[in-house]
Amino acid sequence: MSQPVTIIMIEDDEGHARLIERNIRRSGINNEIVPFTNGTAALSYLFGGDGSGIDHGGRALLILLDLNLPDMTGIDILRRVKENKYLKCAPVVVLTTTDDSQEIKRCYELGCNVYITKPVNYESFANAIRQLGLFFSVIQVPRSAP
Amino acid sequence: MTPEATRWRAIGQILLLTAGLIVLTFISAGSVYLVNQAREDARWVVHTVEVENQILLTQLQMRRTESAQRGYISTLLPDFLTDFDTAASALTVDLARLRQLTSDNPVQGHLLAEIIPLSNQRIEEFRKTIALARAEHVDDAARIVREGIGRDAMSHIDDLANEMRVEEDRLFVQRTTSADRSQSLAASMTGVGSGLVVLLAGISIFLVRRSARARDTAEAQLRDNNLNLEATVDARTADLREANDEIQRFAYIVSHDLRSPLVNIMGFTSELDELRTDIFKRIATLATASASPAPVAAGEIEPALEGGDKQLSEGFSEALGFIKSSIAKMDRLITAILNLTREGRREFEPVEIDTRELIENIVATVAHQASEAKAQIRIEPLPAINSDRLALEQIFSNLIDNALKYLKPGVPGDITVRGRTKLGFAIFEIADNGRGIDPKDHQRIFDLFRRAGEQDKPGQGIGLAHVRALVRRLGGTMSVSSELHNGSTFTIALPIGWKAGNRNRDP
Repeated sequence: MSQPVTIIMIEDDEGHARLIERNIRRSGINNEIVPFTNGTAALSYLFGGDGSGIDHGGRALLILLDLNLPDMTGIDILRRVKENKYLKCAPVVVLTTTDDSQEIKRCYELGCNVYITKPVNYESFANAIRQLGLFFSVIQVPRSAP
Repeated sequence: MTPEATRWRAIGQILLLTAGLIVLTFISAGSVYLVNQAREDARWVVHTVEVENQILLTQLQMRRTESAQRGYISTLLPDFLTDFDTAASALTVDLARLRQLTSDNPVQGHLLAEIIPLSNQRIEEFRKTIALARAEHVDDAARIVREGIGRDAMSHIDDLANEMRVEEDRLFVQRTTSADRSQSLAASMTGVGSGLVVLLAGISIFLVRRSARARDTAEAQLRDNNLNLEATVDARTADLREANDEIQRFAYIVSHDLRSPLVNIMGFTSELDELRTDIFKRIATLATASASPAPVAAGEIEPALEGGDKQLSEGFSEALGFIKSSIAKMDRLITAILNLTREGRREFEPVEIDTRELIENIVATVAHQASEAKAQIRIEPLPAINSDRLALEQIFSNLIDNALKYLKPGVPGDITVRGRTKLGFAIFEIADNGRGIDPKDHQRIFDLFRRAGEQDKPGQGIGLAHVRALVRRLGGTMSVSSELHNGSTFTIALPIGWKAGNRNRDP
């Protein structure tokens, strides 16, 4: 990622967060990663003090989203992000343990850009995250509407 | 109402009807008897009147003969003679008639027996005077009349006749009273009888109405009970379904949430493994460096560990290996539970299925395994059913897989798939000549993650649990009959037609 893209990682399990971060770094991604362990904190960061999301106007964001959060489901966050005019362009990567086809379909319908199931097998997991990192290094992320 | 009470009530009604019938018969017989009695009494009353009449008639004829005799003697007119003859013959007839009428009464008979000779005597006397008058001895005749010979006899006859009339009057009063009594008796009997019949009818109507009311109440209660029963069954079914759904959700959530920590355990174990590799590489390098001062470029040649270091490294590897294999197993179990719950949520699509063709396809996919096990699979004619194709494929392929998997080593396998129909169900049997299942394990093999017998084949104890869950969801039942070393037969009964009640839609 040539641009200064900020990766917002919303993941309640700190272990998962650490493993994801490590493997992304291993694929050569050095962008800033802002981790959140619950939905409320993530939403207040994303939408700012006034709840409009204007704070991030003009910034390039990429959101890594887990669906199973302690205070809300990731789907709620996904919906709100995609309904916000400043944030809707930010690519959202759903990275979760759920591999239920209904859930996957729903996420794509709501505007998720990539859906990845976390494999339990660590080799597959590490591999998937590294490939995701490689993917991050080539995709273009638009700036939010100013 | 108890059966005893019902029986008594029935007996009571029969007794009541019988009593009514007896009363009616008695009244009818009594009425007929009394009416006959009254008619007889009336006849006797008439008879008495007749007798009195006859007595008077006889007396009248007597007087007629007397007056005809007097007239002839006074005038000598032949007309009086004719009158006399007529009256005398009439008197004889009347007397005979009177005797006939009073033949039943000895008192009257006795009186009459006195009257008849007297009357005959008088007639003789009259004839004698008439004969004298005819022979021109009118004076003699008149003298006889004047002397009043026979007047005593005449008055005696009158007395006797009066006595007879008194007797008849007595009889008249007696018989009239008797007739009146008979009639009033008949009337009162009819009245009382009618009253009794009305009373019995009233009791009957009351009893019938009471039992009708009891029956209506019982019917209403039965209807209520039926409704209650249906409601209860519905409620229980809903409860069961809810409980089942809750278990499904529970299993889903648990298995799902267990996965998250598992990813961590696996992830950090792998990280640990890498760290271990790095550490022991460094130890080896250090050991080599201290042993021989000639430095070796790290990474180019793997430095070998020696002695205690090697043992340490192997201990690490072993521990990590166990952790990893356990995690892998746990992951498989969790995945299996997830798949089962997911399967429980899948919607069925009922279609008409040619089961023979479906099983032939399954057999074709296991042909390789079958030839390796030297097993033959025979398919007998099978009934077609309307059901979910995928579910049936899973059921039969699991069972055929199992049959092939658990054959007796060294014995050529013989697997048979049979089918028949019974009471709206298609019954399939998958029989093998394999190693069999101990009867004490027959329940256990259907439990999740449980297996039975020698554990020499890979497997997680999911297949049969899955098959049974599917069969149940399709509205069927499943059982096994088997003995150790003597093969097994799995029997599945599935509804031939698709029932709307099947759990097509699960929350």
